[in-house]
Amino acid sequence: MSAATDPHLELDDIQAGALFERPSPYVGTYLMLRIANRADGRELVRRLHRIATTSRVSTGQGSTSITVGFTYHGLAALGVPQASLESFAPEFREGMAARAAVLGDVAASGPEHWEQPLGSSEVHVAIAVLCSDTDRLQAAAAQAREARRELPGVVVVWRQDCYQLATGRTSFGFKDGIGQPAVEGSGRPSTSPRERPLKAGEIVLGYPDETGELPPMPTPEVLGRNGTYVAFLKLHTKVAAYRRYLHDRATSRAEEDLLGAKMVGRWQSGAPLALAPERDDPELGGDAKRNNDFLFADDPRGFKCPLGAHARRANPRDSMDEVGSVDVRLHRMIRRGTSYGPALPEGMLEDDGADRGIVFVFAGAHLKRQFEFVKTQWLNDGIFIGAPLEKDPLVGPNDESSGFTIPQRPIRRRLQDLPPFVVTRGGDYFFAPGLRAMRWLAELGT
Amino acid sequence: MAASVAGSSEPGLSVGPTSEFSLFVHVKPGQGPSLRSALVDLQDTPGYRPGDYDMAVQTIHEARFVLFDDDTRLAFITSFDGPWDAYMEDFFSSGPTLTLFDVIFRYTEGYDGLPDVGALKAFILDAEQMAAAYARNYGGTVIEIRKAQRVNAAFQQVLDHPNAAELLKHPAMQALLDEAGD
Repeated sequence: MSAATDPHLELDDIQAGALFERPSPYVGTYLMLRIANRADGRELVRRLHRIATTSRVSTGQGSTSITVGFTYHGLAALGVPQASLESFAPEFREGMAARAAVLGDVAASGPEHWEQPLGSSEVHVAIAVLCSDTDRLQAAAAQAREARRELPGVVVVWRQDCYQLATGRTSFGFKDGIGQPAVEGSGRPSTSPRERPLKAGEIVLGYPDETGELPPMPTPEVLGRNGTYVAFLKLHTKVAAYRRYLHDRATSRAEEDLLGAKMVGRWQSGAPLALAPERDDPELGGDAKRNNDFLFADDPRGFKCPLGAHARRANPRDSMDEVGSVDVRLHRMIRRGTSYGPALPEGMLEDDGADRGIVFVFAGAHLKRQFEFVKTQWLNDGIFIGAPLEKDPLVGPNDESSGFTIPQRPIRRRLQDLPPFVVTRGGDYFFAPGLRAMRWLAELGT
Repeated sequence: MAASVAGSSEPGLSVGPTSEFSLFVHVKPGQGPSLRSALVDLQDTPGYRPGDYDMAVQTIHEARFVLFDDDTRLAFITSFDGPWDAYMEDFFSSGPTLTLFDVIFRYTEGYDGLPDVGALKAFILDAEQMAAAYARNYGGTVIEIRKAQRVNAAFQQVLDHPNAAELLKHPAMQALLDEAGD
């Protein structure tokens, strides 16, 4: 065990997607592929291994970032031996569709309504291509088309274009992706001076994690080391319904903004309620040195930021320190959310029928205690804050029977009849291997 | 149930937000008196004295340690808010909980002690037995119950005010007035 030593992350082997922010703004495409022919599949992996972006490369302006992941069925299609397949995390082997009931993806979010073939055994490989401008994306897309023509045994089965605006704002209007943890050995500083960088093994396999242990890693070592698990979710956002909900419960635009901020935990600019409880502070929201520099322990009852606010649920920071049974550092994750679809025009309260939302991407070493834990215990449930009947007001599986409590003096406000504002359109668990592992996959002789 | 299979965990039966959690272990030969003494010491620790209501783990409703079969076996039985298996890793990462666990379970068989967290986890999964039946007489989490107690104390304080009857006449107070008679 080497928990105390510098992990010496093998940055030239680790794919960039897990450790590094993408260029912003960016445009991109997610491709899902099916491997119909094993030899073609391996040839694809051989080529991808050459172009996948490593964590050694800068991903700033003027760049293209390519990340590759495989489902359980994808690894099987490539001929990974059964013993090796069985060494992967149980949740990964089951796949996200099989976990949907546990994850709260039921009713309209259930796999029976997912976009085909998401969640099925037809999805084998995911490729994320993110570029700082459309010219680069078109060039990358042309390369991809060329590669596909030469490999008839690899079929594109699903595609989703995505983007991030220069403002960093998503379809609900909020700046997203602020509270990322830093990772030891990645060379990237933390955005929060109040959060120590996570042990590398929380995000990348092959290094000690926060427990001091090595995370369970698939075998052989060449396959597992420097890999990370990825959860991919396409989330349709019901922006008009969200705006109408706030509109109907507020008497002014300022009150709408306040209710929205209370639900999210941040103002639209990204300014956290913990630091700007009364009104938005766009300068604070845009200041990366300050907008993540806060804790919650000075606000145990949630008068500034409600205990049930989305951002406080997803990352309670020091809120749980006195509970004695929760270590929040075991439930951190890298989030790579991105937008898809056209923005609903400002001020519009009626649905225009367009498909818009967020592609949520999780990266971490522990699907169960990171992604699944946060989704099931902290977003879909309220036991941990003493409100078992409340769910995350923005992304929780609300069904118009639950509410949201906003602590305030003299009397708390309680929003009732919350409808769902987010519908899962599909998703799956992937494994994003290291570069050596991709070469190993390409050279499998089975 | 294959409780002896290390690595598997049963979430426990639950009633509302609360789930049951029980461990059954054998006491190391000759260690019965030491364990009983350690439990007496625990009972005298701040937070664990009867009436302290301030255990290190704030999400458990109550906890009992039962020595039985002539002090050759130990049962630890508790009720926990949330599915305990989801918080399994957290237990091992929470210092005070782990220390408390260590001072008791060091006297039991199969326990190799800290700092081998992997072995400790296997020990717990091995000792955990899911209840065959579980019932509760009130709903609510520890947080909700403490809040309810605070609210009732405040309500009683209001009732003690000489003008309470007058104040509770407002139609909006009807629900409180209904509770004010006894």
